[in-house]
Amino acid sequence: MNQNLIGLFAVAFFGIFSATAQQDYPTNREVAQRLQQMASSGNAKLISLTKTEGGQDIWALQIGKGDLENKPAIAVTGGVEGYHVLSVELALQVASRLLKDHAQLLETTTFYVFPNMSPDAYSQYFSDIKYERRGNSVKIDHDRDGRLSEDGYEDLNKDGFITKFRVESALGEYVPHEKDPRVLVKAENGSKSEPRYIMFSEGIDNDKDENYNEDPEEGVAFNKSLTYKFPAFEPYAGDFPVSQKESRALLDYLFERWNIFAFVTFSPANNLSAPLKFNKSDAEKRIVSSMLEKDVELNKMVSEIYNEIIPHKAYNQENQGTDGDYFQWAYFHFGRLSFSTPGWWVPEVKAEIKDSTETKKVKITPETNFLAWADKEELKNVFIPWQEVNHPDFPNHKVEVGGIKPFAMVTPPFSMVDSIAENHTNFIVKLAEIQPKLEFHNFKAEKLSGGLTRITVDLFNNSPLPTHSELGERSRWLQKLQITVNKDKKDILAGNTIKLVNKLGAYEKEPLSWIVKGVGTVDIKVGAPHTGYATMNVKL
Amino acid sequence: MNLKNIRNIAILVFFSLLLNIPMGQAQEKFFRAIGTPHEPEVAVSWNRYYTYEGVVDIMQKIAKAHPDLAKLESIGKSFQGKDIYLLTVSDFKSGDPSKKPAMYIDGNIHSNEIQGTEFSLYTAWYLTEMFDDLDFIRELLKDKTFYINPTINPDARNDYMNNPNTPHSPRSGMIVLDNDGDGKTGEDGFNDLNEDNHITMMIRKSPTGRYIKDQMDDRKLIRVAAEEKGEYEMLGYEGIDTDGDGEVNEDGIGYYDPNRDWGWKWQPDYVQRGAYKYPFSLPENRAVMEFVMNHPNIAGAQSYHNYGGMILRGPGAEEDKDTYNRDDVEIYDAIAKKGEEMIPGYRYLVVYKDLYSVFGGELDWFYGSRGVYTYSNELMVSYLYFHQNEGRGNQEEEMKVDRYLTFGDAFVDWREYDHPQYEKIEIGGFKKNFGRAHPGFLLEQDAHRNMAFTIYHAYHTPKISISDVKEENLGGGLKQITATIYNERLMPTHSSQDLKYKIERPDYVTISGANVVTGMVVNDVDFNKVEEQKVNPEKMLVKNIPGMNSVKVRWIVSGGGNYQIKVDSAKGGVAQWKK
Repeated sequence: MNQNLIGLFAVAFFGIFSATAQQDYPTNREVAQRLQQMASSGNAKLISLTKTEGGQDIWALQIGKGDLENKPAIAVTGGVEGYHVLSVELALQVASRLLKDHAQLLETTTFYVFPNMSPDAYSQYFSDIKYERRGNSVKIDHDRDGRLSEDGYEDLNKDGFITKFRVESALGEYVPHEKDPRVLVKAENGSKSEPRYIMFSEGIDNDKDENYNEDPEEGVAFNKSLTYKFPAFEPYAGDFPVSQKESRALLDYLFERWNIFAFVTFSPANNLSAPLKFNKSDAEKRIVSSMLEKDVELNKMVSEIYNEIIPHKAYNQENQGTDGDYFQWAYFHFGRLSFSTPGWWVPEVKAEIKDSTETKKVKITPETNFLAWADKEELKNVFIPWQEVNHPDFPNHKVEVGGIKPFAMVTPPFSMVDSIAENHTNFIVKLAEIQPKLEFHNFKAEKLSGGLTRITVDLFNNSPLPTHSELGERSRWLQKLQITVNKDKKDILAGNTIKLVNKLGAYEKEPLSWIVKGVGTVDIKVGAPHTGYATMNVKL
Repeated sequence: MNLKNIRNIAILVFFSLLLNIPMGQAQEKFFRAIGTPHEPEVAVSWNRYYTYEGVVDIMQKIAKAHPDLAKLESIGKSFQGKDIYLLTVSDFKSGDPSKKPAMYIDGNIHSNEIQGTEFSLYTAWYLTEMFDDLDFIRELLKDKTFYINPTINPDARNDYMNNPNTPHSPRSGMIVLDNDGDGKTGEDGFNDLNEDNHITMMIRKSPTGRYIKDQMDDRKLIRVAAEEKGEYEMLGYEGIDTDGDGEVNEDGIGYYDPNRDWGWKWQPDYVQRGAYKYPFSLPENRAVMEFVMNHPNIAGAQSYHNYGGMILRGPGAEEDKDTYNRDDVEIYDAIAKKGEEMIPGYRYLVVYKDLYSVFGGELDWFYGSRGVYTYSNELMVSYLYFHQNEGRGNQEEEMKVDRYLTFGDAFVDWREYDHPQYEKIEIGGFKKNFGRAHPGFLLEQDAHRNMAFTIYHAYHTPKISISDVKEENLGGGLKQITATIYNERLMPTHSSQDLKYKIERPDYVTISGANVVTGMVVNDVDFNKVEEQKVNPEKMLVKNIPGMNSVKVRWIVSGGGNYQIKVDSAKGGVAQWKK
């Protein structure tokens, strides 16, 4: 019996324990198995939105109870970048913890979990040649020279990892870092340090254009191919926005989910450790390119919640969105609250001050900080020592292959993932608890003469979040609050059978009143899919 | 003469014998008018409009009558499942149509802007019917391919024609959206109260009304002066408050705009009203996009709209003005200024400057994303009525047209009606097929002139030849071969937008039958300024062959006698030279 079969049996018989038994990040097949298990637990339904060019399913797990689509919902997305393998595990664990530990919450909130939007690229982590891949399996001419995939990666030292190669050369721009010579940094102007290196991504210049690996065998990156600030003509972006099956399938699905009020995305961008910045002139432009002022305030409030729950101090978290990405799309083009976090980052390692006479400050780079952290944590195998190889493009030069292993800097050891996932589940639960909540207060039904009744009531949003963000109010993809009374129009002497309200702010109330003729009962219903509905029955 | 013609004539002869009419006389019933196909194989009346079924029928007839010149295919399905048919028109007997520089033409992206369909069809008809008669057309179809896509909005074209509408509805396709944000879709559209298949206006007598009927012509409503009392108030287009929310006609078909759905600088609905979910989220546009992506030989494009007598180029938005750089604008100008002469009453304009802002428009996608020189002609202009510029929707002029030229055909006279909400009202006004659409008697002429402009546009897609090959002996068994590649039309093989972003592959200039030592592009032949290509010099990669200009390619070869040179350009076609 081979190992795969044993694995299958283990899942079949001990399925419920498999999550805890897992030793490493899950393959696409294991992702599917875990999702199917969750779907069999009740309160969850699994659908495949489409299959990618590489033949992988794009999964959507709907979690909730009862009428899912008329309750406020949070969309949780992982695998937005194919190399960000942690994000897939986080999305899976959030889903399973919601099902296991937060059944009560599912009465009031729906969750849509899309664990992996880049399964083609994700599979590279498990491949014989590992590199941080972004593109799906579609054939794309990245360097737009009329030839497809003519210059991909080559594993020069046959170690299964694509790292870097360096060529010793007086013309080189790179020198070893002073504190950690394993790392190469750009030489500062006027520095004469030796040796100097030219550095490239590990490979051969197959098409002799003096660029390395500029047209590899991979296609479009999900997180660089959406409509907000679409980077036209750049590698990995595709010929036009939303050109790929998986992006269309996801967006088509989302455009039919009117109930989503917020997105939480596990991606390299971070607007949770610190909120997006407000830029007045960009916010006032016709093409809005800064989060609007009131929404920055909301972002700030949610960031505070995040920072209370997540113990790690932000470090090197400058990425607050990149062109064509997903989390910004959800806000700028879909009008929803949108939050993104990598989930984990290499913490800052403070240098121990041994010698107070040391005057020259050595610049810490993300790479040296990572290696210092790895040393501290006693992580083995994160760096491939520079090793001499023969390179056909540099026949008479000293060429060495080496560097930090792909994935290492963005992927924590698997043993850390449980606590990261638990914290992030707690954050998402907290976000669900503050979702917009419509309530009726101060209800009065006054009898007037001649069989008339005056109904007055205050509609109240009992939440620190408004029903519509400032941008959401402009979007056609969020519904207005609908106030309906199930009475014949001719029996309502003042007020309407249906009235639309654009928005209720945080803890804001709106007085409503009607004068109704006749006897019997009246049903009043207020809300929109993304706020849920408040209903009440009035006796005349 | 093909078999079918022989058979047709045989049948004619048979019938004429039967009816005892001498054969010769039938031909003498007509005398040729210059500029129009005489006794065409496919008879079409160009003074009326065609529903989708009528359009498809004409396309099928053209393809059947001219199998060596026209091919019919469906490039995809509309939202309601109709085939979107496209005619490829070229001389199939001389060269592969997909390798010739091509002109793409479509119409009717806005469903109420119908005549672009007839204009496109007229083009296919004219080219195929005139092929035997005119050297110019024969050469044109030998060199070029026309992709003619008469309606890219077939569902709503039929809705406009077959169902009650205004001249402005529907602009979108038939997907029904929630326009008022109440969670319901299309719950309160127009109502054809007087059941005449036109949505006209509702007016009502009212003590606070600001209008009176003109005493000279009681069809006309005129606004009274500020201090005068009026008699009528305007209530808008025919309709009732179907959903009881106190609004009339606030949520009908659509609304979205198919011309805000294209993948260049696309913006969402709150920036660009009418945008749908994401670029090409409408199936009709997706079909066109896929066709264009699969036909890199398309070098020019025309997308017909109405109204206003305009030859439009991009950019659609000021934010995109740097995309249209000077080299390309010079070519746009040269072609369109000729167009102004060819179509009296039409002006050459820039969308964002002279019209309004459009993000995600078709012409910007063709140019910005594919590097294709593209215009949108806004068909019909009031100039065509009396050769005066009275402007759009000029009531005075339109009444005059209907009185002296169309004799009352354009107007629904005011009639009383009992409205469920407004009570006693009057309904009437101009019909949906007046104003934006040409009246029949103006249709054929304007179709011809606009077609002539697109032919001029197509004519100036690149035409490549190898005009000269020089040999020089370098001694030591080496020879230097210099080939001059000439482009005898206005457009380059790569627009400057294309060059900037490497949209289309370079042109390949290949030598075979010679032992190539090295190859180079000669930038200055007099002073021998050259750019060497070290890798694979047999196949020289030439970035561009400019319009009305040439490129020189040089090889140094050893030995060899008879060699061949071939140019292969995606947008410039193929040219060969043999020693």
